Amino acid sequence: MLGEFEYLILSAAANLGDEAYGAAMRAAIETTAGRACSLGALYTTLDRLEAKGLVETWMGEPTQQRGGRARRMVRVTGEGSRAAREFYDAVTRMSRGTAWADSRGHFPGDAA
Amino acid sequence: MTGAGWSCVEAAAGLLGAHEREVVLGDLAESDGAAWRGLKDVLGLATRRHLELWTSWRPWAASFGLALPASLFLMGCSVVVSGEFDGLFRGTVTAAPLGFSLSKILLLICWAWIAGFAVGAISRRTLWASALTCCSPCLFCLSEWPGSWISALRLFLFLAPALWGVVAGRRKARLGLGWAIFLASTAMLVPPMLDKGGWYGLGLLWPGWFLVATARRELT
Repeated sequence: MLGEFEYLILSAAANLGDEAYGAAMRAAIETTAGRACSLGALYTTLDRLEAKGLVETWMGEPTQQRGGRARRMVRVTGEGSRAAREFYDAVTRMSRGTAWADSRGHFPGDAA
Repeated sequence: MTGAGWSCVEAAAGLLGAHEREVVLGDLAESDGAAWRGLKDVLGLATRRHLELWTSWRPWAASFGLALPASLFLMGCSVVVSGEFDGLFRGTVTAAPLGFSLSKILLLICWAWIAGFAVGAISRRTLWASALTCCSPCLFCLSEWPGSWISALRLFLFLAPALWGVVAGRRKARLGLGWAIFLASTAMLVPPMLDKGGWYGLGLLWPGWFLVATARRELT
């Protein structure tokens, strides 16, 4: 079973397609998921996913925008897609019938 | 990102491997964020990478299994060898004790080189930790040494061959099988010849046999 951050990385890489690399994935996670993402967390998690065979990475071409430096490109493997799907299904099943906030926007457990 | 902040980030990125440095600096240049955040990113990644190294047995073996006990052992051997020198210069030099003393010096050099080579080969990226664990007992003994600092130098006769071994170990990592067997066998003579260490010295013979186990085998 994936961890939450691993799932976010897989989703960002899958959404970005051929343009999936460190800076773009970090921006996607921070803007879309609304959570801070350090390069340390991103690259060590990518290494772990690659070791599990869930993503492939390779060095891309240098670009002028990056001061002539190369990008580490990322592609989700079939195994990675299956793992992400299983995680998504599990979260969806667990969430079915769960009301995190009532119609007035109050969360269960908050003081009235 | 330009100026002094970027220079700090680039300097900190020196802690990363060549490929990762290129990728991370590129990502930071592209995102054009604040220098302090870039610095935090680089230092955070470097710290994580370094901590990952300590999940392996290698840095533990190099630092606490070899550098620390070997520095204590070799300081004792250095004192024995320097005592031999004193005896030679004070008394009448004859061929037999001269040869015996020279063989002890050669053994010390050989053992220190093997220990240095093993430390360099076993864990190249945590050499700083091995250096610290080697220096701590050395500094302690230096502070307790009764004579002048010049006479305290006799504690550190092993340092030069050990550093030579570390440099060689970092470069080559593996010896030829013949050399490895020769050095490991020679190292076995150190505890009895220098009358130092006893079981402690015998317990420190593993670097020599580690070099044999990891030596290059010539293909026939």
